[in-house]
Amino acid sequence: MAEKETPPIILQFAPLNSSVDEGFWHSFSSLKLDKLGIDDSPISITGFSGPCSHPQVSNHLTLLSESLPLEEESLIGTTSHGNRNKCPVPGILYNTNTVESFNKLDKQSLLKAEAKKIWEDIQSGKALEDSSVLSRFLVISFADLKKWSFRYWFAFPALVLDPPVSLIELKPASEYFSSEEAESVSAACNDWRDSDLTTDVPFFLVSVSSDSKASIRHLKDWEACQGDHQKLLFGFYDPCHLPSNPGWPLRNYLALIRSRWNLETVWFFCYRESRGFADLNLSLVGQASVTLSSGESAETVPNSVGWELNKGKRVPRSISLANSMDPTRLAVSAVDLNLKLMRWRALPSLNLNVLSSVKCLLLGAGTLGCQVARTLMGWGIRNITFVDYGKVAMSNPVRQSLYTFEDCVGRGEFKAVAAVKSLKQIFPAMETSGVVMAIPMPGHPISSQEEDSVLGDCKRLSDLIESHDAVFLLTDTRESRWLPSLLCANANKIAINAALGFDSYMVMRHGAGPTSLSDDMQNLDINKTNTQRLGCYFCNDVVAPQDSMTDRTLDQQCTVTRPGLAPIAGALAVELLVGVLQHPHGINAKGDNSSLSNTGNNDDSPLGILPHQIRGSVSQFSQITLLGQASNSCTACSETVISEYRKRGNSFILEAINHPTYLEDLTGLTELKKAANSFNLDWEDDDTDDDDVAVDL
Amino acid sequence: MDSAREVSDGRLTVEGFSVASRAFADKWKIHNQSFPPWSWVPLINRTLLVSKKQEEGYLSLEKIIILSSLEEEIPEDESLNVATDCLEKEETVDHTILVPTMENEAHYYDFHIVYSASYKVPVLYFRGYCSGGEPLALDVIKKDVPSCSVSLLLESKWTFITQEEHPYLNRPWFKLHPCGTEDWIKLLSQSSSSSGCQMPIVLYLVSWFSVVGQVVGLRIPLEMLN
Repeated sequence: MAEKETPPIILQFAPLNSSVDEGFWHSFSSLKLDKLGIDDSPISITGFSGPCSHPQVSNHLTLLSESLPLEEESLIGTTSHGNRNKCPVPGILYNTNTVESFNKLDKQSLLKAEAKKIWEDIQSGKALEDSSVLSRFLVISFADLKKWSFRYWFAFPALVLDPPVSLIELKPASEYFSSEEAESVSAACNDWRDSDLTTDVPFFLVSVSSDSKASIRHLKDWEACQGDHQKLLFGFYDPCHLPSNPGWPLRNYLALIRSRWNLETVWFFCYRESRGFADLNLSLVGQASVTLSSGESAETVPNSVGWELNKGKRVPRSISLANSMDPTRLAVSAVDLNLKLMRWRALPSLNLNVLSSVKCLLLGAGTLGCQVARTLMGWGIRNITFVDYGKVAMSNPVRQSLYTFEDCVGRGEFKAVAAVKSLKQIFPAMETSGVVMAIPMPGHPISSQEEDSVLGDCKRLSDLIESHDAVFLLTDTRESRWLPSLLCANANKIAINAALGFDSYMVMRHGAGPTSLSDDMQNLDINKTNTQRLGCYFCNDVVAPQDSMTDRTLDQQCTVTRPGLAPIAGALAVELLVGVLQHPHGINAKGDNSSLSNTGNNDDSPLGILPHQIRGSVSQFSQITLLGQASNSCTACSETVISEYRKRGNSFILEAINHPTYLEDLTGLTELKKAANSFNLDWEDDDTDDDDVAVDL
Repeated sequence: MDSAREVSDGRLTVEGFSVASRAFADKWKIHNQSFPPWSWVPLINRTLLVSKKQEEGYLSLEKIIILSSLEEEIPEDESLNVATDCLEKEETVDHTILVPTMENEAHYYDFHIVYSASYKVPVLYFRGYCSGGEPLALDVIKKDVPSCSVSLLLESKWTFITQEEHPYLNRPWFKLHPCGTEDWIKLLSQSSSSSGCQMPIVLYLVSWFSVVGQVVGLRIPLEMLN
C-alpha cells in the first residue's frame, strides 16, 4: 500500500440500469397463463447486454422475449450465441402472485443469495471459464394479469470491497496508448467483436507487447500471458458512457482479480464502441489500487449492494401494458381503426364522434331489431338499449341474428336480455342494456286494475325516449308504434320506423316534433328552418290505430315475411339514421328524392341524399323514395295531439288506449271521414289500411 | 421462379421483396454510415414442408436513439413507495456508487420493413420506447420525428399511420398504411424512368424508402437512388 500525499480518491462506479422490452412481458404473461399458473418458484432467465455504443447514452441490461426459457415456437429464429449486441447474462426471476407477497419478499437475503453465487463462481474458477456469471442479476416481479400491469425490481449484485478501491488515474484510452498501440488495440478489439466465438465474451485481457502489437486473450489465459507483455490490462464491455466513471461490471471484476491473482494495482480497460467499431476516445483506461484481503477466508461472502434505483428512489418500477395486451382494448382500437380508414379513404368529412356518442333505443328485438343492432355496431355505435316483451322462441334464431339455439332451450330467454348478451359477446366494449316491457297500445282496452302498471310502462317508455338520442320503431304491430311516435314527436327525438309486408318493406324517418320546447305553442307545424315538417308513420292514415290482431285468422296473426326483407330494411334504417346524424340539420333535414337531379354527393351530407321514406319490394327487386309532409290531423304527431298530451298527460293516454274513436274525434278525422262519405259513394270501398303500412312484422 | 428484373404495376412478389431488400441494405451500408446497418431477419416457417429458395424475412433497424429534451411527466405510482422501508434499514451504505445526474431521456426506435402479401408491397412498421422499456405513444413519437412534407406524396392522402398487430411479433406496432403505395410507386417510376411505369426491382425499396422514410424522419442520401 503506497502512501499518498493526497487522500485517495474512491473509485465510483456508474450504476447499471435495466430495460425491459414489451415483448418480455408478453412472453412472460403467456408463460404464466399457459404453463406456470400459480407456481411461483424462481425462473432462470437470460439478460442481454453489450458495450456502450453511444457517447451520450449508456447501455442497459435488457430483457427480451427470448430471455425466458424457450417454450413455444415462434416465427423468428431464436437468438443464437454470437450476437454482438446481445451478450447473454444469467439471471433469476422471482415472480409473486400477489402484490402483498411482492412487498414481503426478503430482498436482502435474495440479494445475498445471488452475491454468494458470484462469489462461489469466483472461488471455484467458473468465472474464468464463463465470465458472464460475474454480471449475474436478480429480478423480483408481480405481474397483474387482469390489469396487464407489471411491477418489478432489478438488482445487480456487486461485491463490496472493504476498504473501497481507490482510483489512481483514469483517462480516455486514446490518451493512454500510443497511436501505434491504439491502432493495434482497436484492430484486436474489432476482431474479437467480429468473431462469433468471442463477441459475447464480456471480460478479457488486453496484452500489448513491446513492439506495440496488441492481442486480446481469454481470462483463463492469464498465467500464459505473464512476462509476455509490456502492458496488460483487464478489459471488459463497459455499458457506461461517462468520461469520468467506469461502469458497474468492473465491481465484481475487481473482486475476481483480487481473489484470483492478488494484484494491488490493476490496470483496467473500459471498452466502448461507436457505430459498431471500437472507439478509443470513448473507451477509458484506468489504474486502481486494491487493498488485498487480510485474513479473510474464501468462505466469507463479502457484503453486496445493487438494488436498482427508480429515478433516484428506492422503489420498484412498474409498467402498464393494458393498451397493447388487454384484448378488449385491442378490439376497440381495431374497430376504431376500421372506421378511421373509411374516413381517410372515402369520406374525409365523416364525423365519427357523433356516431360513437349517439344513444339508440330499439323498440323491438325481433328480426328488425337484431339486424338494426348489427348494422349499428358496424358503424361504431356503442350505446344500444333494447325494449322487448317477448322470449326467444324456437323459430327465432334462424331469422333473428342475435340469438342462438341455447337462448330458446327451456323456458327461453327474454329477447331483451339475450340480445344484450349477444352484443357483448360480439364486441365487449358495447354499452348496452335491455328492458323487458310491453308497449301500451291504443285499441287494446285495459281494466282499471291494470291502469297503474300500464301508466308505469308509459312513464318508463317516456323516460327511455328522453334519455336516448335516436329511437327505432321495430315492433310487430301498427298500434304499438303509436305511443312511441307521439313521445318522440313530443321530445323531438329522431325516430326511424321500419315495417315489413310479405314481400315489401317501408323505412322512414319521422319529421321533427311540432313544437320544440322553447317555441311558442302557436307555431303550428313550422320547424326552425321554416320548411314544412316531414310526416310520421301515422300522418297518412285516415283511421286511428286500432286492434289489428284479434279476430284475424291464424296466418294473419303470425306475420310471415320473406327472410331477405328484414336485413334489407334493418340496414336501410341504420343508413338513414347515419345520414340524419351526419346532416347539418339533423332531424330537421328536408327530405330528398332519388328522382331529383342529384349528381353524386349532396353538398349537405357526404353520404348522399337523405330521403324521407323508402319503400321497396323483393317481388320486383325495386325501391323508391317518397316524400310526405306532416298532417294536421295526424293521430300521433299533430299539434293538436301533442298539446293535448302535454295538457292532460296520463288521462289522455288512457283515453286513447281505451276508447277506439277518441283519437279520431280529437284530430278531426271523424269529421273528415263523414265529409268523405257524404260524397258520391261510387268509390270502391278500398281497404282503409294501406298494404304497406298495416301488415307488419 | 420470378425472373423479372422490373415491376410495372407498383407491386412486388415475395422473391422480389427479398432481392430488393438485400440491394437496399447494401446501398444503405455504403452510403448512409451515420446510421447503423439494416439487418435481415429470416422467418422460419416450420409448417411448410417445401423449402423456398428465397427465404422469407424482413429488414430490421433497431435501437435508433433520439435524445428527447422534453420533461416527461409520467404519473408516479404512489403504491410503489410502500415497499421501501425494509430496504432502507438493511442495505449497507455504499459510497462507491455514483449518484447520476438527471439527464435527457433517451427514446429508442425500432423500424421493420415487412412484406405485405395481401397488398404486395413493403410496409414500414415502427415503434418507440423509453430506456426502461415503456412504449411511447404516437403523439410523443411525432414530436421526436417531425415529418417533412416536401413532396405532394406526403399529404395525408398518402400517409396514414395506424396501430396494428405486427405480423410476426404479436403486439401492436405503428405502421404506415400500405393502401396508396402501389399507386405512388407507379407515379415515381413514371417520373424517373423513360419506359413507362417500369421500376427495377433492385431500386424498388430504395425508391419506396425515399418517400416513406421521410415520414419517420429517416432520410436517405441521394446517392442511394443511382
